[in-house]
Amino acid sequence: MQESTFNELSDLALRLSGQHIAASKAYLLEARLSTISRRENLATLDDLVHCLKARPNPRFEQEVAAALSSKKTSFFCERALLEKIVTQALPERLSHSKTGRLRVWCAGASTGQEAWSLAIRLSEEMGSALARAEIEIVGTDLSTQCVETAKTGTYGHFDVQKGLSIHRLMTNFSRKDNGDWVIGDAFHRNVNFRRHNLLDSARDLGAFDIIICSNVLGGLAPAAQRLAIENMSAQLLPEALFFAAPDETIEGLSSAIKPSRALRGAFERDTTEKKTAAA
Amino acid sequence: MKNCLIVDDSRVVRTVAGRIVKDLSFAVTEAADGAQALEQCRKEMPDAILLDWNMPVMNGLDFLRALRREEKGADPIVVFCTNENDSEHIGEAIRAGANEYIMKPFDADIIESKFAEVGLV
Repeated sequence: MQESTFNELSDLALRLSGQHIAASKAYLLEARLSTISRRENLATLDDLVHCLKARPNPRFEQEVAAALSSKKTSFFCERALLEKIVTQALPERLSHSKTGRLRVWCAGASTGQEAWSLAIRLSEEMGSALARAEIEIVGTDLSTQCVETAKTGTYGHFDVQKGLSIHRLMTNFSRKDNGDWVIGDAFHRNVNFRRHNLLDSARDLGAFDIIICSNVLGGLAPAAQRLAIENMSAQLLPEALFFAAPDETIEGLSSAIKPSRALRGAFERDTTEKKTAAA
Repeated sequence: MKNCLIVDDSRVVRTVAGRIVKDLSFAVTEAADGAQALEQCRKEMPDAILLDWNMPVMNGLDFLRALRREEKGADPIVVFCTNENDSEHIGEAIRAGANEYIMKPFDADIIESKFAEVGLV
């Protein structure tokens, strides 16, 4: 791959999805774009870039940008975080809810494992107050392909064996004739997936009690991190909580959020600046 | 250091799985069938057993049932690792006392994930 090709592709990713692709990660590009290259019958990434420039097509550019993003995920990937959300954050939100309805947004959900993991974990809360709550989980991702996979709730042999105990697999999935495993129909009632770019306003998604954005922001350039956090925080209900992965440092990335006083490790919308501006 | 007994009639599988398990900081011993494995367990109970199903002399399921009847036979954490990937086999293994279940083919991430599920790593 020519250096100019890497530059074109990393610029495209930055412009359309805010991703920062370091030159040291150039080797990832071939693998991530291989499906598109094969489909378009393009032998090299140099050819792909030539095609992008020769026939400008916003939809194709979006597809390439989405393909360049990391898809790495697994079931119960951030186990401690899910536990905190199920045992602390959601009960806290429910205690203030008049309707018993809560909404959770898994932002940057890739192929859906995090959202389904949360739904599975919630289904295990038989005796708790959460069992009577109506909890909607919305998963979003930049990649249409990932969203389509997530919607089916269907995963292969290797995917279902990473993070899922055999007990959870047997309880919540059924095996298809082709060897894939599909999550139970009942889970589809409260879990849905949509394509969404974190750089865009999320107004269409509505307001949320909990937003989970784990292992996503670290892959973005600083300006994109700020914009993504601002867009997400705008959808937080009053006193609602925002979570990144426990080992991610997001404090200071944006003035739109601040550490939560109610729950350690969580963030909430910071309205201080607006008050000052209004004053 | 914890000890893991790998029971499989395929030397290739024992070698590959053995390398992965060693990387997880286990001392590894091997057996080629259930009877050999039972003999080894009677001498020294391992902390973990990675167990194939279909083997000559004594299969994995019969071994597991016999193991759980042994004194201290309830102690080892048993992870089945087999080509038998249907619900019936998985259910039978769990009822016989398996703690986890790996469907072949496997990779290092799967073994690590399954060992983590049962608190081995």
